[in-house]
Amino acid sequence: MSAVIVVHGGAWAIPDELAQASVDGVKSAACQGFSVLKGGGSALDAVEAAVRMMEDNTVFNAGHGATLNNNGDVELDAIIMDGKTLACGAVSSVKNIANPVSLARAVMDKTSHVMLTGSGANQFAESMGVETVPTDALVTEYERKEWEKHKTYVNGVMEDFNAQWAHDTVGAVALDCTGNVACATSTGGIRNKKIGRVGDSPVIGSGGYADNFSGAVSCTGHGESILKVTLARLIVSHIEQGKSVSDASQLSLQYMGERVHGAGGSIVVSPSGQWAATFTTERMAWAAAQQDELCGKNTSAT
Amino acid sequence: FFFSLRCKAEGGHAPSQRHVALLPPFPLRDFLCLRSQVPKMTTIYVFSNVVSGRGSVLNVKGDVEMDALVMDGKTLASGAVSAVRNIANPVQLARLVMDKTSHACLTAEGASKFARAVGIPEVSQESLITEYARMRWTKNLAPDANPVESQMGKMGTVGAVAVDREGNIACATSTGGMLNKMEGRVGDTPCIGSGGYADNQTGAVSTTGHGEAIMKVTLARLILFHMEQGQTVEAASDVGLAYMKSRVGGLGGVVTVDPQGGWGARFNSLQMAWAAAQDDRLHYGLYAGERFSESLQTP
Repeated sequence: MSAVIVVHGGAWAIPDELAQASVDGVKSAACQGFSVLKGGGSALDAVEAAVRMMEDNTVFNAGHGATLNNNGDVELDAIIMDGKTLACGAVSSVKNIANPVSLARAVMDKTSHVMLTGSGANQFAESMGVETVPTDALVTEYERKEWEKHKTYVNGVMEDFNAQWAHDTVGAVALDCTGNVACATSTGGIRNKKIGRVGDSPVIGSGGYADNFSGAVSCTGHGESILKVTLARLIVSHIEQGKSVSDASQLSLQYMGERVHGAGGSIVVSPSGQWAATFTTERMAWAAAQQDELCGKNTSAT
Repeated sequence: FFFSLRCKAEGGHAPSQRHVALLPPFPLRDFLCLRSQVPKMTTIYVFSNVVSGRGSVLNVKGDVEMDALVMDGKTLASGAVSAVRNIANPVQLARLVMDKTSHACLTAEGASKFARAVGIPEVSQESLITEYARMRWTKNLAPDANPVESQMGKMGTVGAVAVDREGNIACATSTGGMLNKMEGRVGDTPCIGSGGYADNQTGAVSTTGHGEAIMKVTLARLILFHMEQGQTVEAASDVGLAYMKSRVGGLGGVVTVDPQGGWGARFNSLQMAWAAAQDDRLHYGLYAGERFSESLQTP
């Protein structure tokens, strides 16, 4: 039984100046998650560790380095799911915390709910002793400058995304040594989004899904399109029908492109250790670790 | 043309004429304008003449936070709001999210800000709270209370699925959520694929029941996957509900429709008030196995 972790740092037209840092970031996160698995840790712990690392890395649009909404604020979304029990935790539009994926984990582990939003999510964070981080600490100079530049444009999400200005999401999927799969996804959303806009990331079946019987998926890309086709759950349904992880991913992303004209990417792992990193955008930073291999890429879509 | 409506029931009484909407044929675009065309309802709050959203359950702090979803099976466009306060018709706001923004979901204060921006009137929280809701909230403050169980089938979500004459399919779902839920708790209702899903190629589902369980199995989307593989609306609905019960221990109910006008109202909770209109017949029921039927023709 081999353990696997796959991570992504977002599917979008990553500009050259961010490319190397993105690849370095996903490789580090994959190594981090893999060391958890090698030590006998759970898939859940591995995906949380990998995503936390990317949340802390300002090159990615999650936690530190998150993008700003149209009010100049940071609102964060995240999800984590346990393929064994289908237990799930998610937060949407939570503010001033460094690691939304861990808050999502706490929702799953410490409450009888699956999802908390807004000030309710923040109150829960406070009750759990999660440290409050000032917005300024989460926002990079680069993001502030980009946000100022685009503040004057009245652009829909689709135009932004297709114009390659949008930042993106981070995620991870893993298979551990006991055969459990898990997924996690975290994001700051879309730059200049309306206050309170919730994308695909924290929505179960869209931003991610995990089921020990079929596999775990984390998605990235045009959030509204991912929601329309419930992309993660769609990929899982193809696997349930007997398709390979690679075919399931490609078919689903192709469908999303044809039916709703959205582009994106996905990472998938199956209970037997098959994995895939697939994208229909220009680029997606991803990395996977399986046994002693470590491979990472940042090339054009195939 | 087909229209199926599911609503929460009060107590456990069999639905009387006053509990069931009379639904004349109408084009799908007027779907959400039904409110002005039906007689005053006491239980179907989405469609009542009085302030809708009224009757919502209260969160643990005694406040009303509402969730809603609407989806267009033709384009897969959807609109949703979660944890929105002080508005009468969350489903209307969800529709506006779909029609007037490039987003699919707005939450909490952001949803309220959008409501103000599009001229939706703010209503007092008091106007949304009924004596019954307050009584149930008080009871569930007791440490040994079981809000999920006490709510099942009684104070649930409302929803609808429809197929129009052109073959377009849609769904809508709206709720105050779970009795005594944590502040900011979002259930299945505004989550696409869980609270509802609609696709002209396959059908539409609107769900109700134990929200967290529905989310874990993405119940609406699951039922449609079964229909895509050739199962009937009833079989697919039953399989989905049975899976939810066995895999995650949750109960619930669904209304489902397919592009040919096949429909089902299925549940494994003790009761679910439902009504369906097709051709000139109105069908309705409350307890398992019930299916009353009457003519829709006005005398």
